[in-house]
Amino acid sequence: MSSETMALSPHAVETQSLAERLHGWATTVDHKRIGVMYIGFALIFLVIGGIEAIIMRIQLALPNNDFVSPQVFNRMFTMHGTTMIFFVAMPIMFGFGNYTVPLLVGTRDMAFPRLNAFSFWLTAFGALLMYFSFVGGFGLYGAGSAPDVGWFAYAPLTSKVFSPGHSSDFWSLGLIVSGFGSIGTSVNMITTIVCSRCPGMTLNKMPLFAWMNIVMSGMVLFAISPLTAAQIMISLDRYLGAHFFDTQAGGSAVIWMHFFWIFGHPEVYILIIPSFGFISEIVPVFSRKPIFGYPIMVGATVAIGFISFSVWAHHMFTVGMNSWGNTFFAITTMAVGVPTGIKIFNWLGTIWGGKIQFKTPMLFSLAFLFQFLIAGLTGIMLSSTPFNWQLSGSYFVVAHFHYVIVGGILFAVFGGFYYWYPKITGKMLSERLGKLHFWLFVIGFHLTFDFMHIPGLLGMPRRIYTYEAGRGWEIWNQIVSVGALFQGVAVLIFVFNMIWSYWKGKDAGCDPWDAWTLEWTTTSPPPEYNFATIPTVHSSRPLWDLKHPEDPDWKYE
Amino acid sequence: MSNEHRASNADRNGIVMPQPTAWPITLAFGFMLLMAGLVTNAAVSVLGAILMVAGCVGWFRDVLPHEKHVVIPCEIVEAVPAQTQRAQVKVFDLAPEHARAFLPITYYPISAGIKGGLAGSVAMAVLAVAYGVIKQGSIWYPINLLSAAIYSQSIQFGTESLKTFHLNSFLVACVIHLITSLLVGLLYGAMLPMIPRRPILLGGIIAPILWSGLLYTALGIINPLLDKKIDWLWFVISQFGFGIVAGLVVSRQDKVFTQQNIPFALRAGIEVPGAMRERIGGSSPDEDGRR
Repeated sequence: MSSETMALSPHAVETQSLAERLHGWATTVDHKRIGVMYIGFALIFLVIGGIEAIIMRIQLALPNNDFVSPQVFNRMFTMHGTTMIFFVAMPIMFGFGNYTVPLLVGTRDMAFPRLNAFSFWLTAFGALLMYFSFVGGFGLYGAGSAPDVGWFAYAPLTSKVFSPGHSSDFWSLGLIVSGFGSIGTSVNMITTIVCSRCPGMTLNKMPLFAWMNIVMSGMVLFAISPLTAAQIMISLDRYLGAHFFDTQAGGSAVIWMHFFWIFGHPEVYILIIPSFGFISEIVPVFSRKPIFGYPIMVGATVAIGFISFSVWAHHMFTVGMNSWGNTFFAITTMAVGVPTGIKIFNWLGTIWGGKIQFKTPMLFSLAFLFQFLIAGLTGIMLSSTPFNWQLSGSYFVVAHFHYVIVGGILFAVFGGFYYWYPKITGKMLSERLGKLHFWLFVIGFHLTFDFMHIPGLLGMPRRIYTYEAGRGWEIWNQIVSVGALFQGVAVLIFVFNMIWSYWKGKDAGCDPWDAWTLEWTTTSPPPEYNFATIPTVHSSRPLWDLKHPEDPDWKYE
Repeated sequence: MSNEHRASNADRNGIVMPQPTAWPITLAFGFMLLMAGLVTNAAVSVLGAILMVAGCVGWFRDVLPHEKHVVIPCEIVEAVPAQTQRAQVKVFDLAPEHARAFLPITYYPISAGIKGGLAGSVAMAVLAVAYGVIKQGSIWYPINLLSAAIYSQSIQFGTESLKTFHLNSFLVACVIHLITSLLVGLLYGAMLPMIPRRPILLGGIIAPILWSGLLYTALGIINPLLDKKIDWLWFVISQFGFGIVAGLVVSRQDKVFTQQNIPFALRAGIEVPGAMRERIGGSSPDEDGRR
């Protein structure tokens, strides 16, 4: 190989100053470090987005409350939604994908290491640009501050008339910048999985987490592109006199809705599919059985990927589409529940008859199964057009959505943290604190989001700043707000656990869970090159083969 | 870089990895400034553009004409033998043709669920039409009502209009009935093996009662118009009809061995030579060179 090379001493790292270490992180192209940066970035914004949520819940806990002004409340729900989707959920998925996928497929790095770093920094700077709006969004008009148009920013709220200053500009420009980062990471992920698998790892021996990531990355390419295009169109509308979304000048506000939701609904699956990957790795290990129905799991994931691009207008039943349009999107929305249901049954089939170990990652995974089922059922309810007409824009929808995002995705992510933290840091997270975190979070989650359905059914619209007493909403809002505090405390315990365990936790060793995939064959944390020798695999459970030479999987696959 | 290439990169000097570089962060920062300048000051965009050019040039120089690398020292030591806390594996007695299986060993085939769903759909349709004829004097009443679940035109029908034939409503109702019946049939096929005791009681009686109860309590709030037009006694009777017939049909089908570890192509009946090692107890693939 002809290349410029320089030698790096392993001891050099230990003697670096703080500035040198920071320089090392800023210039790294190592997928593991970039994965950790993604995760750290997402956790910081999880706390920021969480604080925004708690501000909203304090405001809504009592009728006629004025804890914050209506303007601040609008900024809080806009920034909370935008932050949690674009700067928490997506980066955390990319972070875990970045860290684990090369290890899972037995390679030394992502296919394009420099593009990987570039993509991360785009995401990070996009977030900084958007949050700069808190000080820079006033613009020349002295109006604005942070964006306040809601996370889906319906036209004409984003027009100059309704959004003077620069708040909406920071929203669209920040998302354009971070959107390019998402596209870069997805291209990298697909190339890595397609081209860099270790010898012997055919597609039907590939870990399900890698399968989920390749499907998710493909979806990102098709979903982020229309969003980025629409953000550019908003900017053209606002500054160059284009009228894409200006109804009075021949444009269409509904076109914006289509652009947004053709991104927005696949986005939910972009986030949930890697979560399926977490569950598909955790459940077999803690049930001591291989995944039930591997090929069907793969097929169902691919089916979800395709079908999810045909459901977007169920967010628009109240817009006034014709009956056939409504019926089509109702049926496709119900249809996406079929492959999803198949996956739930396969996880149950995996647990069925297993020697279940109720460690913290498994607890989060079991809660995921139950909660995601409920979230799916309320989704099926909302797919029915007449039902949707009654409840669209109510707190029922907010509750359903958060059941998916928190009850599904966030629980899976927490499971992933407890599962892979030992690999990333070399230390075990405290089981005692982990279980405390789990139970507090479960209680808080159900207090908040179970009871949030009820004010929705009683007619409470989403995004209202406050409400009059005597409508029967008070008690439910108080319960919901108390649940948010439980969740806040649980997250603080989780953060404390991570910090405490990093310094004081038990050593993890290479394979603390007695698992079967390749990341557990290397040290914890893995060296920069992952594997001294690139492994060769013969089955989908290479470590099982090594641990049970008398009964290896490769004889039967 | 190919895997083979990478695999060969572990040499006496160490392992070759891409060299850290500041140009990606420079380029990203420049792009962000370029965008930020659009709403702050043109000078910010100019600075961003300069940084972008610098980032691109630096990045090109990192990879052209040859990619810059670092050599990470690596001691290739003997691999630590993989250990397990559960060395003992419980083995089930199976017929010789099923050399290996995981729990659950047997399952209802998908066709059982389809048959159960179709049979249940007929039973339910008969009961629903009987209700239409006996109570409303028209077979179209329940059909139009069913289509109103998702078809917005049907919800606007008055009582008399519900008793007349509407092609669109009929088609929508058929699709809903067929798809829902098939899906619930498949659900029964998947669930019944997990309910070893009295599957018909649970699938045919208890589940329909729970489902109807949930709908009964919610529909008044969600869709009062539809709620007023449903005869709940007949609704529950038709759910029983579906559940009992579907449950009976499914539970009378022969179970099949789960084939979890067999490639999908083989399970689909496609002949794929080499897709699976056609031997048991042979040497390892490393030894005989079969990969």
